[in-house]
Amino acid sequence: MYSYLNKFLLVLLIAIIVTPIFFGILGFLLPSFGYFPILDKYEFSLNYFVISSNIPGVSKSIFLSFFTGFVSTLLALILSQVIILNIFETKLYKLIKKIIAPLLAMPHVTMAIGLIFIFTPSGLFFRIFSPWLTGFERPPNFFIIPDDYGFFLILGLVLKEIPFFILVSISAIEQFSAKKIFNVGKSLQHSVLSVWCFLLFPLIYRRIRLIVFIVIAFTASVVDMSLLLAPSTPSTLAIQILQKYQASETNSLFIASNLALIQLLVIIILILFWVLIEKIVSHKLFFTIFVNCLTFKNNLIKNLTFIIVSILFFLSLLVLISSFLWSLAGDWYFPNFLPKTLDIQNLVEFFNENKKIIFSSIVISLIVSLLACLFVIIWVELTDGLKKKRQYIEWFIFLPLFIPQISFLIGIQSFLIPLNFSDFLVPLIFVELLYVIPYCFIILVPSLREISKDFLKVAASLGKNKFEILIFIKIPMIMPTFLLSVAIGMLVSFALYTPVYFIGAGRVTTLTVEALNLALSGSKQDLGVATFFQIIIPILILLIVGWYNNNFLKWKF
Amino acid sequence: MGFQLLKTSKKFLLDFYLFIFVFGLIFFSLTSYASENENSWEAILNKSSGDTVFFHAWGGDKNINSYIKWASDEIKKKYNISVKHVKVSDTSNVVARILSEKNARKNTNGAVDLVWINGENFSMMKNNGLLLNQNWIFKIPNSKFLDFENNPNLLNDFGVDTEGMEMPWGLSQLTFYFDSRYIKIPPRSSIELKDYILSNKGRFTFPQPPDFVGTSFLKQVLIELISDKNLLQSNYEKAKHQIALQPLWDWLDEVTPYLWRNGKSYPSNYLALTELVADREIDIGMAFNISHASNAILANRLPKTVRSYIHEKGTLANTHFLTIPYNSSNIEAAKIFINFLISPIAQLRKQDKNFWGDPSVLSMDKLNNQWKNKFNQIPRGVATLSNEDLKMKLQEPHPSWVKVIEEEWIRRYGSKN
Repeated sequence: MYSYLNKFLLVLLIAIIVTPIFFGILGFLLPSFGYFPILDKYEFSLNYFVISSNIPGVSKSIFLSFFTGFVSTLLALILSQVIILNIFETKLYKLIKKIIAPLLAMPHVTMAIGLIFIFTPSGLFFRIFSPWLTGFERPPNFFIIPDDYGFFLILGLVLKEIPFFILVSISAIEQFSAKKIFNVGKSLQHSVLSVWCFLLFPLIYRRIRLIVFIVIAFTASVVDMSLLLAPSTPSTLAIQILQKYQASETNSLFIASNLALIQLLVIIILILFWVLIEKIVSHKLFFTIFVNCLTFKNNLIKNLTFIIVSILFFLSLLVLISSFLWSLAGDWYFPNFLPKTLDIQNLVEFFNENKKIIFSSIVISLIVSLLACLFVIIWVELTDGLKKKRQYIEWFIFLPLFIPQISFLIGIQSFLIPLNFSDFLVPLIFVELLYVIPYCFIILVPSLREISKDFLKVAASLGKNKFEILIFIKIPMIMPTFLLSVAIGMLVSFALYTPVYFIGAGRVTTLTVEALNLALSGSKQDLGVATFFQIIIPILILLIVGWYNNNFLKWKF
Repeated sequence: MGFQLLKTSKKFLLDFYLFIFVFGLIFFSLTSYASENENSWEAILNKSSGDTVFFHAWGGDKNINSYIKWASDEIKKKYNISVKHVKVSDTSNVVARILSEKNARKNTNGAVDLVWINGENFSMMKNNGLLLNQNWIFKIPNSKFLDFENNPNLLNDFGVDTEGMEMPWGLSQLTFYFDSRYIKIPPRSSIELKDYILSNKGRFTFPQPPDFVGTSFLKQVLIELISDKNLLQSNYEKAKHQIALQPLWDWLDEVTPYLWRNGKSYPSNYLALTELVADREIDIGMAFNISHASNAILANRLPKTVRSYIHEKGTLANTHFLTIPYNSSNIEAAKIFINFLISPIAQLRKQDKNFWGDPSVLSMDKLNNQWKNKFNQIPRGVATLSNEDLKMKLQEPHPSWVKVIEEEWIRRYGSKN
């Protein structure tokens, strides 16, 4: 009887994820062929593929999405490994383990805005050298950001994805005896680099392969960063979809849906392409070439990559500093390196006018994150008994991250709007859950499953039922991880742009959406202020969790 | 005989009853209509207390946002109605949202309660039946301060008859600005502007169409270059009018390589232009608000030496409006907010350079002396042109031209890199 209930609940949980995904896909798949009974359209044709292919600049857009998605994932993966191998088994490694979460906390929009602050011809970079070195009394007419091929978009994405890859790599490393392998390799006179490339990386990669695919799907369809950093004549495919969807024409839904399908195809092809490259890289021939190169130019490669990494780290820091400076700047025209006047009024004013939005952003993210953690905990309870099947079922959890956000949201809107909800918050929370659950899952599940069965057996022998064991033993035992998971869940929700933009429809809005609005229109000062809050709030959340974990949980273990 | 009398009297009686009945019906309906009309505004006010209005309005300008915030606070105090300003980046997205709601038969509970709108977006809403019933604006009490009879622009939006389905809110005119420290005489026609751009590479740009101001700039150039302006007032027909656009494309073909960033990248809207002028990346900015430069100076966003100008033959001028979608979740409360926004107190503050600087739509003749004096005493911003300087106004082309200009611009210049 109990196992039936178990099965039923498990199916219910899967349904929570799969049902919206199913309708989300159906919602753009059907209209892309011109067929959508809800709107009384019954013709089934390839007409919209023709229309899509005739959109000016669409092939360049597809190229941009493909190119930026592939290059940024590849670079971020390589650079993240370089960082870890350089610091593995040092003090820095322990430090990174601690500070990696705040680095992750910075929303994509913030990173993009920071890059704009630095690299436009009137930005910080040129101000450093002007006019004393360059002779520029006014900003040069350089064509820097956004560039023709999306290199700045790639830079922004790489900066954002490196911390993510580091986080998942570290947790992968902890799943096997990496230290032993590392030391054995070194004792056999191998360099750190080759130990890493041939012994450790394959083991790490096997464990994070899924994450790599997720990053590919994300970077090739990112909306918020593309709006700010991608070229605009034309932009990436994701932006073309957005623009078509928002064009006030009667058939715009169908064209946008068709583009959304193309976006999905781009990602599928990109992943297949990636798998092909995996095959090539793991081939024997390539392996020999690689080995020869490595022993030869070992130090050169190592130093070069380390310099790149240092520059990137410095850039991230500069992003933070310039955002803070702009938030406090009064009058700050080119070529002044620092603001002429400082003014806290901007900050106060923004806070007063957007108190409610800041508050609701936090509350929404808290609700979403708690629900996501609850979901994960129940999931673990239910799947405890399953051994082999578990792997296959857990694939469902990550399903939402494989489908391009913009495509999915257009699809789900096609069904949500006819349902005529008067409430916009509940659908938003529901959709956000799909994107937050996977992250809570990554953090929470390993520690939940690591809890020694002995404790649980003792508890059970004392007559505690499963629910009591969960509440009084399991959760307290993993409290630090639980809180971290709540915090990370909040940060993921806090940084979401596209779901809030679509589902919230302006009725529910968050700071990230506001910041992007400002980025496209407002002054740099206002933008700096919005960015300031976007950085400060996640850091505060993490600090609270960290402080709590340090002070109140010491006695536990 | 008696029988006949009876017959006629019977007929007479019948007619008489019928007459009484019909007359009574008319009379009754008239009186009830009148009383309903008198009471209805009161009834609306009472009914709407505690309601929330989602006001979708372009939200990039801090001054305008602050003004809307002020108005929302006032209406909250007065009638206990909460107004939420949904800050929109492009009004056509709002129209698209309402259109998709209508297509999906979401005929109530719409996401949008009130929109700030004009031009092709209004025309789009009108053509697709996305608006509330006709002539509702005349039932708003404060509409008595607007002179609809003598000012046809209040009922005409880009040549489209509004049919009383949108309430005038303010007046706009395309205005350029420059820093007088560096430029002595700005170019005051499209031809002069072309020469200026060609001899100052990289120092001019416009917001990327289909941005509202960017498209307006293209229309401005077209109007100045087209041989027969009257063509622009008729519905665009490809066979007949395609050739008329050629002067605009010729102008752009020459100019585009000399634009900021070689015409490969454009600012997203007119506020981004302000930043570029402030940092001297470009020389000339533009806005569809005569007070924009003054406001920016006040807010430390532009140097104090910036001045405005318009082209010799005039610039595009139009009215901007407020309208309610047919599926608005809260029609009554939206009407109350509109009534407040066109009240003398709200329009006075709107015209004040310290808040927004957008000209009032009220007719001075319809205001009492006290209000008249207040309006006359409003000071103008340092970089705002006088009414005399703004006298030359150009009429907006028919909205059907907008889509063509936008799409063709995107095809020719916005997707080639």
